[in-house]
Amino acid sequence: MKRFLPWIIALFFIGWAVSQMVPHRQPPGFDVAGFGRLPVLVGGRVMPMDSLARVSLTLMNHYGAYQGLDRKPIKKQSQWLLDVMMMPEHADGDKVFEVSNPDVFALFQWQEGNGEPQYHSFNELRPFFAEISKQAGLASQIEAELRNPFQRAILKLHDALRTYIQLKNTIQVEDSLDFGKELMAFERGIAPGMQAIKDRDADKPFNQFDFEQILLFTQRYQNLSQVKYAYAIPNPTARVENERWQHLSETLLGALSTGKVPDAAQAYGRLISAYRANDVNGFNQAITDYDRYLTRTIPQQIQRPHLEFLFNSAQPFYQAIFLYAIVFLFSLFSWLIWPKVFGKSALLILAFTFLIHTAGLVTRMYLQGRPPVTNLYSSAIFVGWGSVLLCLLLERFYKNGIAGLCGATIGFVTLLIAQNLQLDGDTLEMLRAVLDTNIWLATHVVCEVFGYSAAFLAGFLGIVYIVRGLFTKSFDQVTARSLGRMIYGVVCFAMLFSLVGTILGGIWGDQSWGRFWGWDPKENGALLVVLWNAIILHTRWGGYARDRGIAMMAVFGNVITSLSWFGVNMLGIGLHSYGFMEQAFGPLLSFIIGQLAIIGLALIPQKYWCGLKANEKASVGEKKKFAAESAV
Amino acid sequence: MTDKIFHWLKPLASLKLTIFCLACAIVLVFIGTIDQVHIGIFEAQNRYFKSFFLYFIPPRTTLKIPWFPGGYLVGGLLLVNLIVAHIARFRFSWKKAGILLLHSGLILLLVGQLITSLFQVESQMRLDQGETKNYSESFYYDELAVIDTSGKDSDRVISVPASQLHKGAKIVLPADSLQLVIHDYYANSALVNVSQLPSPNYPHLVLGPMAVSVPLRRTYKQDERNQPAATISVIQEGHTVGFGNVATGFPQSFQAEGKDYQMVLRPKRYYKPFAIQLIQFRHDRYAGTDIAKNFSSRIRLMDPTQHEDRESLIFMNNPLRYAGMTFYQAGFDNNDTTTVFQVVKNPGWLIPYISCGLIVVGLLLQFGMHLANFVRRRVIA
Repeated sequence: MKRFLPWIIALFFIGWAVSQMVPHRQPPGFDVAGFGRLPVLVGGRVMPMDSLARVSLTLMNHYGAYQGLDRKPIKKQSQWLLDVMMMPEHADGDKVFEVSNPDVFALFQWQEGNGEPQYHSFNELRPFFAEISKQAGLASQIEAELRNPFQRAILKLHDALRTYIQLKNTIQVEDSLDFGKELMAFERGIAPGMQAIKDRDADKPFNQFDFEQILLFTQRYQNLSQVKYAYAIPNPTARVENERWQHLSETLLGALSTGKVPDAAQAYGRLISAYRANDVNGFNQAITDYDRYLTRTIPQQIQRPHLEFLFNSAQPFYQAIFLYAIVFLFSLFSWLIWPKVFGKSALLILAFTFLIHTAGLVTRMYLQGRPPVTNLYSSAIFVGWGSVLLCLLLERFYKNGIAGLCGATIGFVTLLIAQNLQLDGDTLEMLRAVLDTNIWLATHVVCEVFGYSAAFLAGFLGIVYIVRGLFTKSFDQVTARSLGRMIYGVVCFAMLFSLVGTILGGIWGDQSWGRFWGWDPKENGALLVVLWNAIILHTRWGGYARDRGIAMMAVFGNVITSLSWFGVNMLGIGLHSYGFMEQAFGPLLSFIIGQLAIIGLALIPQKYWCGLKANEKASVGEKKKFAAESAV
Repeated sequence: MTDKIFHWLKPLASLKLTIFCLACAIVLVFIGTIDQVHIGIFEAQNRYFKSFFLYFIPPRTTLKIPWFPGGYLVGGLLLVNLIVAHIARFRFSWKKAGILLLHSGLILLLVGQLITSLFQVESQMRLDQGETKNYSESFYYDELAVIDTSGKDSDRVISVPASQLHKGAKIVLPADSLQLVIHDYYANSALVNVSQLPSPNYPHLVLGPMAVSVPLRRTYKQDERNQPAATISVIQEGHTVGFGNVATGFPQSFQAEGKDYQMVLRPKRYYKPFAIQLIQFRHDRYAGTDIAKNFSSRIRLMDPTQHEDRESLIFMNNPLRYAGMTFYQAGFDNNDTTTVFQVVKNPGWLIPYISCGLIVVGLLLQFGMHLANFVRRRVIA
């Protein structure tokens, strides 16, 4: 029985994770999922409506969801977007706009707050629109890096409101009572209206009503083009890539010359009419029809949005966070009780979580058509992935559960960081021109980030060495030696990848800009990691530091690596600065202080260490061994 | 004899020195990066990486107190340390082949960086649509050019680097026995309207009927450049033949011995034996956004000395390499009708490639052997 217990435990958690990831059956009613799958072009890429909803909501509040009073999402993101686009008068009452800056409260003369973020609806903010846009206009004249918290907050609110208004005008004109009928009236009016214009230009008698009607429609749709954001109407007849998707306003103004409203716009018209008339069957039928139309006309452009919709609802990285936490707990337990059962369970769950992590990573690569790391968000995903991969390899050789614990911790922390970075917007965004090169993204960036993975892993192994050595009695000579060797091996990996990555970066620089090295902050950050790893290795080869010293240095490697990874982005200068992230400053600082504290702990003389009291008194034989190793 | 030399060399070959140098390098790179926020990349390069010492200058003094080794010193020591260590300590064996390759790659890399930092010249070329130029301009340095415009087909240019200009400087030009006397010099200045002067006594140079130049602090910002201005008199054989204020965009004319001259303060120019014409600049955006997808410049390259006259396309990550120079797409201006190329001349550009090859092979060999040993030992165990 005991042989199977780890499997049973692991299968329980694996089963739970899988059940969270498979799409749930929709309750009867409007086919919200069907709407969520529909493709739309935003920010240069085709995404499902569901992604548009999620990305938009992250602009509005830091949960990226529509929240009820008890902070629980009470509407699916797609449902919220469906309301915004088709029933704006309902969505205007949804409290999605987060206001947390006290100066903004004061500006609105609000008394509540108490430092807690408040959620307000579009309707509640309506009286302050003039003030918000005036203040945003003032704030936008200040350089982004120099803005104070109030200016940043008011601009964020202003942008969120603008995006919201743009969303309302994506597939209809927001004040239309029944857009389906409006489109029919418009189509019927085109031919007579154009005739009336012709007649009038030719000084012939013309139909005044037709003339005025077409003029009104034209004006209405020209106004609509002021709020372009998401391009929802596919244009299968386009010859140039940039014209494959149109904003509704372009489609309708284009219809003036063809005399016919294109099928896609009409499909949306029917959807809106059905939704507003609460006609469930009509709505679901219209979704099915439009799906068929898309499959017929642009089959190659809807595969990725469909997959992305599944990816969104499965949320593999979100499940992985929980699983990594569980692995962490099991690994800890395994040092206290039932080492074999809990240890093996932890390893099994870790391996499975790694599979989920990998699946998520690969799906993102397919969706974007890019190597794994393209922005800060994806670098966080990859750092965690790389560390866990190394940990599984280490576990293969050292079956002591230590690497597993470190892997779970790094996986957990990096995915948590990724969850927070997600709030900057679309994580599958298109790449700016400088980065638009798959070869260098696949080689230089991947090596560099994998180097970070290894450096962090070495650092966490160092923490385990120090904490276990200081506080646990189970930390014997054998464990100490093997941990020492693990740290050394992982530092070698970190050295290899960070050096190769940095050099490849230099070659990229020479290929693209004619200079190998420019002392740009990001380059320097990478160089710091290389130099520090070189110091660790040479110190060991010279015999100047033993296991404890190496462990301390590896922990300091965490500081260097995190500065290189994030600190550089806070400088906000140079070719590589892709985002100023002042919010991350506090957490980064506390991480660094924490690492320094651990190094400080390690300085406690070893006679007070619970674990390895005799470890530092290396025997003559060991000294010889050191000499041999240092010669290598 | 050789033993004695080795005895002296021993400290230079020590691993402690290596670690010391690496640690210094870390500190140097760290503060050199942080300081870029205040003084920009270019100035940080000069102060931290292309110097022997970092200096502390106590306020209101001209004292320069070195307090930390600079890039040249650290890099130089590391280089010496590596070379001496290999001569004194290392004996070749297959086991150490990886380390040997790796270290020789590093030596080459350091030498290459030295060559680069000594000989690399970076400049910019701005071209409007249709414009042709046979020179690029420095982004950082200015020059005072005295141009003899009396020639029929071509002008004769004598240029003085702005670094030689300061209040009271006397500069003898190598032609026409001309001498320049600098009465006043602003390293950076702003062009303002006369009416904007806070008071008539505020220091300024009159450039035109309404335009005056007022002194400004030197700027280190990445997107700004210094605009020098100066008051200069030109003396020929004891007689003043020209006098006036010059600033970027405000030249002065004078005559000497019947020849027409012009004095201009302008970004330092690097003339080339060939010319480049911008045919068209394109700025592609992703559909429905303002996110840049690509910048590209179609250019015509004309080099009569080499019988070259061809078109070429410069775009992101794809520069033009010609005559030892690299032209890469660095920016654009004027509503997408002006292109800006960064022009880099680096005679040592090939060295990093060779050293990188050595380092990568060395690393793979060394760690590969380690890993193989490790796995073998583990599998046996």
